[in-house]
Amino acid sequence: MAELYDPQFGAASNALFNTALGAYLLAMVGYFFRMAFTKVAEGQTTATRAGRRIGVASTVIASVGVLAHTASIVTRGLAAERVPWANMYEYSSALSLLAVAIGLVVLQRRLGLGHLMGFVLALATTTMAIALMLYTDPGPIVPSLQSYWIRIHVTSAMVASAIFMVAFAATALYLVKDTAERRVAERSGQGFTGSTVGAASVTPGAEVAAGEGAALAEGEAGAAPGAGGDQPDDRLDGDAVEGAGYASPLEQRRVLTAWPFGVVPAAVVGPFTLVVYQAPVAAAVSAFVAAAIGLLSRWSVPHLPDAKTLDTLAYRTIAFGFPIWTFAIIAGAVWAEEAWGRFWGWDPKETGSFFTWVLYAAYLHARSTSGWRGRRAAWIGVVSFAALMVTYYVVNLFVVGLHSYAGV
Amino acid sequence: MTQTAPSREPTRAPERGVALPEVPGPGETARRAWRWLRRMSTAIWLLFALAAASVVATFVPQEPVIPTTVESWRSGIEGPGTEVSAVFDALGLYDVYGSPWFAAIVVLLFVSLTGCLVPRWRAFLRDARRPPPRGRGLTALRQSTTLRTSLPPEEGLAVVEASLARRRYRRRRLAQEETASGLAQVAAERGRWREGGSLLFHASFYLLLVGIVVAQGFGFVGQVNVAEGQAFTDTRISYDVADPGRFFDLEDHAGFAVRLDAFDLAFFEDGTPERFVSEVTVLEDGEEVRVGEAVAVNERLEHAGMNLYQMRFGMAPRVEVRAGDSDLFADQVMLGQGEGNTWTGVAKVSAADPQIALEILLVPDFARDADGEPISAGPAPGDPRLFANLWVGDLGLERPVPATQFDRDGGQRVDAVELGEGESAALLGGALEVAFPELTMWSGFQVAHQPGRAILLAAGVLVLVGLVPSLYAYRRRIWAEARPVEGGSEVTVAGVALQRVEAFDDAYAELVEELADALDAQHPTSGEPGEEERQG
Ligand code: HEM
Repeated sequence: MAELYDPQFGAASNALFNTALGAYLLAMVGYFFRMAFTKVAEGQTTATRAGRRIGVASTVIASVGVLAHTASIVTRGLAAERVPWANMYEYSSALSLLAVAIGLVVLQRRLGLGHLMGFVLALATTTMAIALMLYTDPGPIVPSLQSYWIRIHVTSAMVASAIFMVAFAATALYLVKDTAERRVAERSGQGFTGSTVGAASVTPGAEVAAGEGAALAEGEAGAAPGAGGDQPDDRLDGDAVEGAGYASPLEQRRVLTAWPFGVVPAAVVGPFTLVVYQAPVAAAVSAFVAAAIGLLSRWSVPHLPDAKTLDTLAYRTIAFGFPIWTFAIIAGAVWAEEAWGRFWGWDPKETGSFFTWVLYAAYLHARSTSGWRGRRAAWIGVVSFAALMVTYYVVNLFVVGLHSYAGV
Repeated sequence: MTQTAPSREPTRAPERGVALPEVPGPGETARRAWRWLRRMSTAIWLLFALAAASVVATFVPQEPVIPTTVESWRSGIEGPGTEVSAVFDALGLYDVYGSPWFAAIVVLLFVSLTGCLVPRWRAFLRDARRPPPRGRGLTALRQSTTLRTSLPPEEGLAVVEASLARRRYRRRRLAQEETASGLAQVAAERGRWREGGSLLFHASFYLLLVGIVVAQGFGFVGQVNVAEGQAFTDTRISYDVADPGRFFDLEDHAGFAVRLDAFDLAFFEDGTPERFVSEVTVLEDGEEVRVGEAVAVNERLEHAGMNLYQMRFGMAPRVEVRAGDSDLFADQVMLGQGEGNTWTGVAKVSAADPQIALEILLVPDFARDADGEPISAGPAPGDPRLFANLWVGDLGLERPVPATQFDRDGGQRVDAVELGEGESAALLGGALEVAFPELTMWSGFQVAHQPGRAILLAAGVLVLVGLVPSLYAYRRRIWAEARPVEGGSEVTVAGVALQRVEAFDDAYAELVEELADALDAQHPTSGEPGEEERQG
């Protein structure tokens, strides 16, 4: 009989995991504090000195967390002598690492949207908490998973999921911010034109975009006659979003009713934990944490990037993740053909990843269809992410299928 | 609603003085349906319908996938109860993917897809042959810069053209007479693959459909369980489960035989299987053509167009039952997995009157727990122990019941026996003798003929090949005009982007910088709208 795993590496991996989790939580608090120490006026955000310091400290702590987390996953792989994302604990762990890394590198560094990091960390730590509840020792994997395809199929699914997770943060915050911008615009008496993106609809900047579309099509018949083919679909330019003329950015917070921000996340997360883990205490704690994060999202509204930026970010991340998810499904079909003798058997897991894919495809369509762009599309994005989570957690835990052997 | 359809009768309603609702004629209805199907929001709703169907199929067990669970939902043992189950059945929810309404969604999607694609393809093919369009009013564009250079106009434009060539723009030179401004112009464009990729991506769904139809129609999937030392032949009747495609006939089976020579099994110490391998020999007309081939998970065996896959496995004790001198039963009994590493099954000894059956529990590695109850120390065979209950009576063995079942109500349990490997014992005071000479294994194979593999793979590749540029290629246009001035020329560069405008702004700035260097320009002056400040 083969040795199950190397216990020393296993213990090291767990310790590093806890270190990473601690670092992320600390950094998350730091990022939210940084927000508090940021002055917002007329669409301009300026960090105070304390805010900048806290920001740097949070970045350092989060980066240390990423290093510890990476080490945790590497040692886990060494302990089990295989790919370290073959069961739910490992997959969740690696998924959250990727989400944090993408947040730090792409959101914070490349796009300068560090204010979103608190929320990315919240999602990542939630995933890690789920990972802890599903913890198993670094055992071996069943023969059906002993294939190089696990690297291709599972890794690409995981990368896409991490991207979708970041996209979800942007999508949800877009909906919050957009609501705030709309309400402020309505109250300040500015005509609300009902265009797709709240901020753009109350500014003259929108016409610039329209004019340019015309210039592009100039001198030719039909640049791209497909439905909605010609709309600039992912503009991230600031001039369309010049502050909506609001009196005070803090007004954006005031116009949002507080209780749904606490109640809705708690009502989703609490019962989920209760059903999955049958532990009332864990359910209460997670409901409380969810409510706190929900309320934080309301609190942070004035500090968030404008709705248009968030919408664009959501679109670009989903558009980036989608081909990877597509690839993961195709790779899965090829693997299934090699291992089981059929490409596709409508096994619950296959079905789940399929409807997730279809929903994200619907999102991409909605994003380029007038009447759907903006809030409606964003809701599809939210539902798609919910589908992704259901596909992974609910289907794995509750529905029996061929994939079930992947186990907890 | 305002256009009048030709097929409508215009006269009757006014005579009666009643305004009848306008009833569109069949032609008009068809046109409206077609228009509706071509709308993008229809496509989105159809995608929702597809997703909803899959959600249902994820949480309601599907008959083709797990028939046993469906059976227990139908009979109310599991699931929401028999009444709900009847509703599910009526709606086809136990076989969503085989239901007419699912087919309807798919058909509508493809009709809609066709409606979208035909005009888009036509336009794309028409535009693909067209050179980049000429620009007009360049200084009014958002990104517009005028550079002074000592080069004459033609050479200035050549410099621009070279830079654009490096950036893989398609270019076109326009002479003075051809432009609105009366100046020579370079018109350039890139990003056609955004639309082209999208079209390819959508079109590959037809290929996917063809692949699925071929795979389903001409394919075959069968399952068969064999005990060590036994063989099965590739004929329709020897499969336990056979699912041939509509066009896969009985004669399409090659008729070779596969013998399971040995089944190797290794476990990790926590009891999970580490590896299981079937060692097989392929025979054709009784001749061994391939000897000692391994079939394992992720390691199939291909023979005569059929693929052999390792699926399940289990224990198959050899059991013998004798009554006096006559052998009533001598076979390997394929057992199914029971609780806690045990294996259970039934040996149907005789369908005579009275019928006899042995209900078997096999413990692969015999031990006793704290309470003295027999348990298995592990999953691997160590000290195998066979427990058998002898049933006699009207057990329904003549009826086609599943191999592991018999009618307990019709008979009685009359005796029980416990045997180690190689032992035998007398039952019913010596009337019967039961022996357990040897523990062997059985292996379950999936045997599949899969045509259309290449088509499906090609479709998958095309999906990706189309998808990537459709999402990541960005359409941009750049124009340059050169106006002759004292001691050189003024080159005006302008551009617009349809996607990722902010990235274009950076790329444009880079281009202008490069051009300024190359043209040795003195004072780059920007056009007014480009100056607008960006806010981060
Ligand atoms: C078979 C189901 C379909 C799937 C899975 C699907 C999927 C997608 C995806 C993923 C995209 C985004 C990538 C791209 O731009 O190519 C897209 C774009 C598009 N789809 Fe579909 N689609 C389907 C059916 C349709 C139908 C029926 C229509 C027509 C009503 C349609 C029209 C379009 C158009 C016009 C775009 C381009 C949008 C843009 O300019 O960004 N699709 N589709």
